[in-house]
Amino acid sequence: MLNYVWIALVAVGILVAVGNDAGDEIKNTYRNDVPLEAVIVADGVPSAAMASWEGELVIPAESFNRFYGFNQETEEIRHEVKVTTGAGGESMIMIPVGETTPLLWREMARAGATKDRLTGTIRSIRFSQEGRQAVVQIVFEPVRFVKLKAVTQAAFDYASTAVTIALGLIGIMALWLGVMKVAEEAGAVKILTRLLAPITRRLFPEVPPDHPAVGAMIMNVSANMLGLSNAATPFGLKAMEELNKLNPKAGTATNAMCTFLTINTAGLILIPATAIAVRAAAGSANPGIIIGTSLFGASCATVAGLITVKLLQRLPVFRKDDPALVGRETRKGGDKDHG
Amino acid sequence: MAEIFRSLVNIVSIVAIPLILFLFLGWGLVKKVKVYELFVEGAKDGFNVAIRIIPYLVAMLVAIGIFRASGAMEVLTSVLAPATNLIGMPAEAMPMALMRPLSGSGSLGVMTEIMKVHGPDSFLGVLVSTMYGSTETTFYVLAVYFGSVNVRNTRHALPAGLTADVFGMLGAVFICRILFGL
Repeated sequence: MLNYVWIALVAVGILVAVGNDAGDEIKNTYRNDVPLEAVIVADGVPSAAMASWEGELVIPAESFNRFYGFNQETEEIRHEVKVTTGAGGESMIMIPVGETTPLLWREMARAGATKDRLTGTIRSIRFSQEGRQAVVQIVFEPVRFVKLKAVTQAAFDYASTAVTIALGLIGIMALWLGVMKVAEEAGAVKILTRLLAPITRRLFPEVPPDHPAVGAMIMNVSANMLGLSNAATPFGLKAMEELNKLNPKAGTATNAMCTFLTINTAGLILIPATAIAVRAAAGSANPGIIIGTSLFGASCATVAGLITVKLLQRLPVFRKDDPALVGRETRKGGDKDHG
Repeated sequence: MAEIFRSLVNIVSIVAIPLILFLFLGWGLVKKVKVYELFVEGAKDGFNVAIRIIPYLVAMLVAIGIFRASGAMEVLTSVLAPATNLIGMPAEAMPMALMRPLSGSGSLGVMTEIMKVHGPDSFLGVLVSTMYGSTETTFYVLAVYFGSVNVRNTRHALPAGLTADVFGMLGAVFICRILFGL
């Protein structure tokens, strides 16, 4: 299952990127090679002889929208620009990209070689009588393959993000694995395990109720519920390690592992701290209002997940790989050899 | 009532870590086990586990990164938009429902954006933050947890995890409509 979903994410991603870029090419979304008429109000009095001068680019909302084929209202464009004239007499325009820059231009700048500015050539320039205003025709650097470039960038970025995340885990993993080792040896989790045995025995019938895996799973779920994700992950990974000791077929998930992970992915949490923090930062009058609703949503997820996981493990497609059954089969085969 | 519950859980989560450290290590002392030696012994595995996860995490995050960067999310959102009416979910909340199982940082971004546009106390703001709190980043959890024990055949874990996500989202829509309904 994960095989197909994984390849689907990659393949669909790349195909959609190609489709989007082809669509942009056909519609000429970025108006490559089409001149845009605009007025530049210079800071001083420029002349054609000057190597470079600065000013403000002014485009009425209507003509900007018409040029790019926008339906929605855009305000009048007023943006600082720099014009440079080369030795051959051709003029270049440079627009530094900032917060106020139209979204499309920001996108175009990001797709280009220079991330923080948008550049183009000035096809024609006509100065007004008093000399401070110039009517120009701008052709921006052509923008192509925006999505494919973004896909490439994302692939590299996320690969290093993965390593950063994993390396960041080393310290807290070491801390909690150390604590768990002491606790295991001293039998500190035993009491908790025994207390919750009626529940864990039903959820994980394949795991002996006093197995260290049960203790680690309880610690993981409790830490998760309290929102202590720094402790929850190490406990969870410890639990996986212990569950794997009961796994007769390395590399294949056991029923207990799938059940445990379903509880984890459902993410039952008493206080959704991240969401509350974001709400507070956004200026909510009552950031904590979502505690009850989140608890309800996460309970739905947990119950539905548990029912599903228990039903699915009986389905022939998933059952045929069940490590428990594989173990039994090979043992049976061994018996036959004896006979 | 909700306030009392909230401050109670807050206190518990602040006290929990020091308390666990004290109790577990202290209990070790009572039981006369070699606390320091055992701690170091166990901590040694931390490095191996973290390194073991890397290939799984790279595979998963790169795939999700490509999917997000390509604009496939927008395509999927517009394809599924008609279905949102059926379950009473505002179409604007659809990106959240799709992003939540895929990417933690992505869904955080979607939530922040929606709150910026519609306000945190609007129906949409409450709904998306409830959705965010209603489930976990399924793909990330599967990659890390299964990766740590080198499990590649994940069997029914993904469909079960995704079903949980779907019901988490449906539950969020249901409860928000009842309590803060349009």
